[in-house]
Amino acid sequence: MPDPRKKIEALIESLEDLRLHVGRKDLVVGDERVNPQLFFLLANSCLRNRAVLLYGGMGANKTTLVNLLGSSFLSLSLGAVEDLMVTGHPEQTEEKIVGFLDPRQWSRSGGAIDMLWTPWARSRWKLINEINRFPSGKQNLFLEIIQKRKLSYAGQVLEPGDTCYFATMNPEFSATYPLDEALLDRISASVPAMQPDFLAGMALAEREREVYDLAEELPRFSSQEFDALPNLVTEVELSPQVELAILCLLRDFTLCERAPGFDKTQLSGTKPSKGLCHDCHYFNNPEVLCWQVDDGLSDRVRQDLRAFCRAVAFLLDRDADLEVLRAVAPYVIWHRVTPSSSMLNRPPYYGARKLSFVAELVERSINRTLNERGEMNLLFSRAADGEMNLAVALRELSYYDDPIARLDFIPALERMR
Amino acid sequence: MKLARFMEEAYHGAARSKKLETRRGKMIFSLEDLADLVGDKPTRAEIEALVPSDDDLLSKLISTEPSGKHQLLWGYLGSILAERSAGPLKLSSCNYAGLELRRGTIILQAAGDHVGERMSGGRIFIRGPAGDYLGQEMSGGGIVTQSCKDYAFKNMRGGFGVVLGTAGNFVCLGKHGGRTVVRGDCGARAGWLMHGGSLRIGGDAGEYLGILMGGGKILVRGRTGKRAGWRRKGGIIQAGSFGPESEDGVMGLAKRMA
Repeated sequence: MPDPRKKIEALIESLEDLRLHVGRKDLVVGDERVNPQLFFLLANSCLRNRAVLLYGGMGANKTTLVNLLGSSFLSLSLGAVEDLMVTGHPEQTEEKIVGFLDPRQWSRSGGAIDMLWTPWARSRWKLINEINRFPSGKQNLFLEIIQKRKLSYAGQVLEPGDTCYFATMNPEFSATYPLDEALLDRISASVPAMQPDFLAGMALAEREREVYDLAEELPRFSSQEFDALPNLVTEVELSPQVELAILCLLRDFTLCERAPGFDKTQLSGTKPSKGLCHDCHYFNNPEVLCWQVDDGLSDRVRQDLRAFCRAVAFLLDRDADLEVLRAVAPYVIWHRVTPSSSMLNRPPYYGARKLSFVAELVERSINRTLNERGEMNLLFSRAADGEMNLAVALRELSYYDDPIARLDFIPALERMR
Repeated sequence: MKLARFMEEAYHGAARSKKLETRRGKMIFSLEDLADLVGDKPTRAEIEALVPSDDDLLSKLISTEPSGKHQLLWGYLGSILAERSAGPLKLSSCNYAGLELRRGTIILQAAGDHVGERMSGGRIFIRGPAGDYLGQEMSGGGIVTQSCKDYAFKNMRGGFGVVLGTAGNFVCLGKHGGRTVVRGDCGARAGWLMHGGSLRIGGDAGEYLGILMGGGKILVRGRTGKRAGWRRKGGIIQAGSFGPESEDGVMGLAKRMA
């Protein structure tokens, strides 16, 4: 079997050469610059049971790009891949999306119940187009489907196998519905799809043939190659630094001194932006993240960060190091949190650059973990391993005002006493 | 794997630590909020750590006249805003305008006391009279004013000061460096305990000019009061003419020219 990564590189080159995707390369991973829209879709194609959401205005090559990649990875024509997607609108029903009982069976006697599953349900490449045009109730349908390996209807179960999920959405328009937080949490990464810049516009102007014709020229993956990708990604090892930075990143977003169990995901109604942090001594301290975002992060974020760090490192043929984490983490986190408006509304964010703000928070957390939390973390780990007296460790840790030391390490050691 | 080994691998045996600097406080919407966080006599570093990054909010903070105990805060904020501004900043005539200014330009219609205190760069232009302690302990930059009261340029170490009109008593007291020009008259004891730098007075000087002076140079175009250079240990005093009981060694301007 040829090296699937070489084929992916050929696919990237073909997409550019055929002028099928010429987006800006503003995802910086170490010394390399790549297009985030394309790379997150490719990373998701190398993983299974994860979902990537493309977010952007009309005509930003969201749906077409997903279908072009589907055409290449599934070795189908572009038209055939387009038949696999479902598109959001208020009249969509579960029957139209998943499938329905075959009415012909009622004229027969006996036998098992027959289901007519839709092509989308049977496919292992699932695109939910315009996901925010599904009314809120219909969006709940996807809560179960995304990240699960099977679909059910009327007691019948379909197991299409490990699946790649993709979704697209526009910003809020008159005919859109807000996405539920639980659904957003099931989306592994959200990537802004930008309109072509000047040079990209020039390049696109050179395209004279139809997209359907050009799609035929893209490299095709055999099913063997496509199925091999997740295993190749799993072979990429995460360094202990990355594992530690991910753990601390999650705790930085999630810990709250005033929340039940110090867990911000337990909050309902009252939030940092609604006065919860009034007079808290962490409040207004730019080094601390807790008061700057309303929401905590679930363990899904940890899994997604690990998976996408590996996948991006695999695509770039490099180690899954901190540079990869710094690049990937903002896209995995930003759609899951609501920043404090007092911080987000300030320059240089102007209330509009949420991704940049979250990237800044991520950078701060990683730098703090690497440069300032070393002694504290080693102290805790030695005490947890029984290499150090708990009382001494507790006393030493009490000198650290870091939220992780105070709200996580100290309670954990106290439980061990 | 043991947790300790995991951590040691993560830090490669080079774990460092820095205590988190936490501060009690709320969002800063007024000088009172800032004073709650840093007290009434903060250092510039303490103010800088908390100062709003939004220039509009900073402008609003200094747009109102500060109460007596918040004048230092107002002075620091004004300087920080002037340093951030692309053009000259016009401020109201409060005490401590331009406190520890490092760059930028401040324009004042009139000035209170302590204007330009401890400034190290930038310019302050005062279109009216200034109060006491103008440019005290300044080490760089420049101040131009129409006139000033007592103790102007006290302990000055660098930069320049220009008084277009008259200056009060004790100009350049304890001065170590920098240049000062008073185009009009100045009061008593100008250059008292002066150790370096220069003081030029276009008009007349009051009594005890350069008293206990140890260095530097004083030049008076007009006449000095009595006892010029009294108990002087060093430095140069030159004047157009001297009043009674002038110390030995002070020179007339004509002699200097010769």
